Amino acid sequence: MKKRLLAYITLLGGLLFSQCRQLDLEPKGIMGEAELFGTEYGVKMYFAGLYNYLPIEDFQYYANNGYHRFNWDTEKNSQGAMSGEYFNTWISVDNDGFGYWPYDRIREVNNFIQSFPNYKDKFPEGMYNKLLGEAHFLRAYFYFGLAKRYGGVPIVTEVQDPLAGPEVLNVSRNTEYDTWKFIHDDLQFAIDNMETDTKETGRANKYVAAALMSRTMLYAGSIAKYTESLGFKATELAAQQGLAGMEPSQANEFFQYAVDAGKLVESGPYSLYNQNADKAVNFASLFLDPGSPETIFVKEFDKNSPNDNVLKHNYDALMSPAPDMSSFVGSESYVPLDFMELYDMPAYTNPDGTPVRFDSRSDIRNGMEPRALGTMYLDGDELRGHTFEIQRGIYRTFDGVASDIQRGVNSAPINSNGNRILGAKGATTEIDGVTYKIAGDHGNFENVGGSENALFGSAYIRKYINPDMPTSEVNVYRSDQSWVVFRLGEIYLNTAEALYELGQRDEAFDYIAKIRERAGAKVVRPAIDMTMTNIGTINKANYTYSLEKSLQFIRDERQRELYAENHWWWDIRRWRTADQILNNFRQRVLSCYYVADEGKYIYLDEDNRLNRQWTASKACYYEPIPGGEIGKNNNLRPNNPLYN
Amino acid sequence: MKKLTIYSILGVVLLSVTSCYKTDNWAAPDVRVHGRVIDSYTGENLLSSQNDWSIRIWERSWTGTAEPTSQNLAVKQDGSYNNSKLFAGTYDMLPYGGPFWPVTDTVKNVSFNGTTEQDFTVTPYLQLIDFETSLDGLNLTMKCRLKAPIRTGLPNLVEIKPFLSLTTFCGAGANSNIDIAEYSNKRIQINKSWQDEVGDSETSNVYTIGPLPVKAGYTYYVRLGANVNDANRKYNYTEIVRVDVPR
Repeated sequence: MKKRLLAYITLLGGLLFSQCRQLDLEPKGIMGEAELFGTEYGVKMYFAGLYNYLPIEDFQYYANNGYHRFNWDTEKNSQGAMSGEYFNTWISVDNDGFGYWPYDRIREVNNFIQSFPNYKDKFPEGMYNKLLGEAHFLRAYFYFGLAKRYGGVPIVTEVQDPLAGPEVLNVSRNTEYDTWKFIHDDLQFAIDNMETDTKETGRANKYVAAALMSRTMLYAGSIAKYTESLGFKATELAAQQGLAGMEPSQANEFFQYAVDAGKLVESGPYSLYNQNADKAVNFASLFLDPGSPETIFVKEFDKNSPNDNVLKHNYDALMSPAPDMSSFVGSESYVPLDFMELYDMPAYTNPDGTPVRFDSRSDIRNGMEPRALGTMYLDGDELRGHTFEIQRGIYRTFDGVASDIQRGVNSAPINSNGNRILGAKGATTEIDGVTYKIAGDHGNFENVGGSENALFGSAYIRKYINPDMPTSEVNVYRSDQSWVVFRLGEIYLNTAEALYELGQRDEAFDYIAKIRERAGAKVVRPAIDMTMTNIGTINKANYTYSLEKSLQFIRDERQRELYAENHWWWDIRRWRTADQILNNFRQRVLSCYYVADEGKYIYLDEDNRLNRQWTASKACYYEPIPGGEIGKNNNLRPNNPLYN
Repeated sequence: MKKLTIYSILGVVLLSVTSCYKTDNWAAPDVRVHGRVIDSYTGENLLSSQNDWSIRIWERSWTGTAEPTSQNLAVKQDGSYNNSKLFAGTYDMLPYGGPFWPVTDTVKNVSFNGTTEQDFTVTPYLQLIDFETSLDGLNLTMKCRLKAPIRTGLPNLVEIKPFLSLTTFCGAGANSNIDIAEYSNKRIQINKSWQDEVGDSETSNVYTIGPLPVKAGYTYYVRLGANVNDANRKYNYTEIVRVDVPR
């Protein structure tokens, strides 16, 4: 009996141990490297995650807080609100950033680039090259997100062994020049290896890589040219060592790369969007038409996607006024006068200084550049079955010149003693037996701040607003229009600016003319003016260097075309003018009033009533290397200028 | 049984309290360092503002990391500094980021122990001289001239800006500054080299800033500041003048 028991136990034990070897199987629920890198579909899956993490300042970019933030108020805290492009929630200018440091994603790309050659025989050669090129595009994009913030960063191209020890892991920073050159080389590889197939607009191809090349090299060129004007070299170690800043002599190399890349994009199947005879509607539609021939690359959103993917947004809900056009808290961002007047605009002040009398409020739209009308909603425009009604208040009488309002302060005589009447939403007043509504249905209301659906000034943002959504649908996380990352219009502007910087002025203005023709601007091709100036347009900024007036025109054209597309902040940084433009930048607002004794309307240029202002310091041009990273790796020193 | 429960609760309470008794193994920082930042032209303290700039220090006796992280000692409006919560040790010190020609020789290995006094002498970029204020009803006008003893390598002049405050703290970094468009718009933006703006002379013509609207019955503390386009663009200031606006 005992013997038999022992035998059973032995048998059982033997079985148990023999089974153990069999249990060491590849888990079937997890995709391994072979599944991911060995098939086209697997690679696509691997890249999909990386695409979602690309440093694209889209709807879900939360200024001072990071990319693709899934918060109800992300659009309210947009980059435009931070940089003074919108009147909005007042966020302080982002001098020091949020510590963007995507080396985890870069490691994922490096992992692919390192291991993919092992699977070369599983792909036709064209496909293999295309996928490898795509990986280089992705890596360049992450480095672009770093370089535009920090200048020179460590260039890591290998998958580091976490146990390798500090002498390997504590990498040093490369110079800023080398970093931008690295981005160039990665993109050149992508351009050389990818194909011209443009079917998937959410995925890179040869032209998308060229578009990124165009933008990045333009950035690099202006950083090289203008950083010297900041005067960092005298005291700042990072500037002296070339980690932050490049030499003006290096600028033309980058400008030329930008021009070449722009021309490559032009050789692709793209054209400026021109599908509607009404140029205003046409401009607004170009952002919404999924079939737009102008679109080069988009980030797609889907309101039915899981929350974790952060691929749905609140743009409509937070850009249109509630309750008429939004079922959520309503609008949070308005266009300041400083930006409105970049465009062709009707005169609202007569030569003698008195305000122009308009028969109707919406007459302000007459003579406005069509592109401006496609960019913003003014009084009289319709959205979701309602007509915008925008008015700040009433003057019993307006006997004087526009400047009598003293920029809109209550203490000005013309604004005192009940002559100017301001009110809350729906408030009314009676003048000589007639009852008037003081403010328009959609602002500007006196009792609430600009972040509470009040409207400051006279325009809401129209760009990217989807008019086909019924108001009941306009709610939190219900919007899913794509973000247009690259479009031909931007590429034309990149090429024009780079050409002008290279001294090819006429050719530069060929591109400007194409843009302005589509925009419906009055003067399509302005004469080239080579007079030097150091005065900018917005906030009459006093630049620390001089430039030709026509170059300033090209910069302004860029803002006219790309307003509300999250370019401006990066543009004024790379031009090294941010600290001058945002030097106590108090946004001005255009306010509409009814003049009761005349039965007419006037528009007045006022200071924003909350007296908000935006100020950037020279510390904004280079964000500090994140403290946690320097703490781990002292080789990242010296830190960027003005940080220690 | 009841007793046992009470005793065990008592025991747990006692134990939890005793654990709080352990003394910190590191003494609180108690070393004081103070001093003045002296204007090499006047021999007086450099005219400054709260929160404008600071003295950088590096604790060399710290060996925890290869390169110690620098700390900042804020310089006050009167051009002095004082910090009484530092750890004893040896430190390098450098006046950094202020409105003066960059100081290149870091003061090395200053021993902080008990109370340490360390003065610095700096050479301001600009001097604001002949400061005058005049009140015409409710309009304040300020005047000054700029002086640049060293003009070789002087970065471009940026601006001359008025500062008005209702407290004795007045200057770019002072929180009590009145920051309104009526004042800010009256600044004189120059953005030119000294040669282009002033010429060969060491001293500029008189700059007049104003009229700045003020309120009846208020007491203002006012000064002018001017800066050059170095990395930090901090202001050199006039002295602060008290202006009593009559009712």
